[in-house]
Amino acid sequence: MTSHAVAIECRDLGLTFPGASGESTVALSGVSCSFLPGKVTAIIGPSGCGKSTLLQIVRGFLDPSRGHLSFAKLEGGAAAQRPAMSTVWQAFNLFPWLTVVENVAFGLELAGVPKGEREERARKAIAAVDLRGFERKYPRQLSGGMRQRVGIARALVMKPDVLLLDEPFGALDAQTRLVLQEQLARLVEQSGTTAILVTHSIEEAILLADAILVMSARPGRIVATIDVDLPKPRNHGTTHDPQFAKLFEQIYGLLRDEVMVAMVNESGGA
Amino acid sequence: MSDQHLTGTTDVSETRAAQTAGWKTICDDPRVLGWGSVALVLLVWEISAYVSGVSPLYLPRPSQIVVALVTMFLTGGLATDLGVTLYRIFAGFAIALVVGTLLGVWIATSFRVRAIADMFIAALYPLPKVTLIPLLIIWLGTGGPFMLTISALGAIFPILINTVLGVRQCDPGLVLAARDLGATKQQIVRKVLIPSAIPAIFAGTRLGLGVSIILVVAAEMVVGKLGLGARLYLSGQILETEQVFAVLIVLAALGIIVTKTQDAIDIWLGRWRIT
Repeated sequence: MTSHAVAIECRDLGLTFPGASGESTVALSGVSCSFLPGKVTAIIGPSGCGKSTLLQIVRGFLDPSRGHLSFAKLEGGAAAQRPAMSTVWQAFNLFPWLTVVENVAFGLELAGVPKGEREERARKAIAAVDLRGFERKYPRQLSGGMRQRVGIARALVMKPDVLLLDEPFGALDAQTRLVLQEQLARLVEQSGTTAILVTHSIEEAILLADAILVMSARPGRIVATIDVDLPKPRNHGTTHDPQFAKLFEQIYGLLRDEVMVAMVNESGGA
Repeated sequence: MSDQHLTGTTDVSETRAAQTAGWKTICDDPRVLGWGSVALVLLVWEISAYVSGVSPLYLPRPSQIVVALVTMFLTGGLATDLGVTLYRIFAGFAIALVVGTLLGVWIATSFRVRAIADMFIAALYPLPKVTLIPLLIIWLGTGGPFMLTISALGAIFPILINTVLGVRQCDPGLVLAARDLGATKQQIVRKVLIPSAIPAIFAGTRLGLGVSIILVVAAEMVVGKLGLGARLYLSGQILETEQVFAVLIVLAALGIIVTKTQDAIDIWLGRWRIT
């Protein structure tokens, strides 16, 4: 499975949005970081710090104003092109006029995979997220947690080299989030894909990630990279591990000041 | 019933409701209410026209109208008129649907095309399309091309405007998700923008078809030798009031069928919106 894995190297990325009144907004400034192959890297930071922006740059939907990205296959050779990536979105972004199986098969359909094969692959992916029996339902007929499981299946069915998770559980209630975090941890582990998780939740970052990048308030920089060595599989019980508490304290300590800065920024004090 | 008890406001109305429950369910059926009231109006009309002895030249009785209607269908060629009018309406409407949707998608997805089209739409949309009849007759004569043009002109603006709105209201997150899954620009239009705009496009076709019907019948009244509008006008000229009413009934029936079919399509299209 590790043949899928891809390392991503970001060097000195910066992004500046030109503002309407001449003054420009610096969203990212001097971001250097790496995403290790086959590992889950979480990006955590105060709201508005540019975590999602960084994800969009990695995805190729936004071009950085400066710096560059490089991709390397695990075998050592530089990847000739951008690896295959799929995103799981905070707002789910399911196509409401398509059924669950049609949503999951959408990317395969775009790629021209024949109907029989794509349906079969979609069904397997749906079963993997425990949604068997809901193939013919429309997204509006599902709960939020079930919708996001469709979103996860839709991304994983593409067998991406890199899985991008953009605050995937941000719109869900606390209990649903716990269950889905455990499920996602298992699925990512099984797929062996490189994953990048953008999150607000320190707990979620520790439960899912092998490494955590802590970002500063805007303009976003990486203030620390923290390795998580807790044994896998992790689940809710992991939160009682003394090492979990230590990591939590460490990350909270780093974030606290940045969150204060972000709050001042947001209230227009800057 | 326990629900009713919990939500009931007064005991008196509740007992009354229970006593007349059977009658009430019949009265609350929209179909019974709809058709029942039509039947009642016809009955009152028939009786009052008969009793008052008003001349059928002014107000024929419903029974006389039905006789005229049946006669016109069997021997008077009304079926041909209906067929001709339906063809004109739907052929023109079909042209408007294809052209309006394609043009609408193009306008919605291109900033430049939108800027250009905006002025033309602003000028042409509020213009009553009947005012174009004289000009179109000068250009096209009074035959088939004229009828199709006037029908298409009536339907195209509501369809086009609704398509533009529908496409532009598409959730940007869906476009992003499609791009993420590898969609090309063309695939985004075909598989995301158009499907998401279908409810709006259909709302446009509803309005558009209504305008097409009005315009075709009006044009037939002005120039036609065939068609329901022509038949209506000619019957009026020779004071055949029963025949005037008979044509009006056919037009009303057409309206009902069109509206109900659209309702059914609307429900089918919106099946994914049902929670």
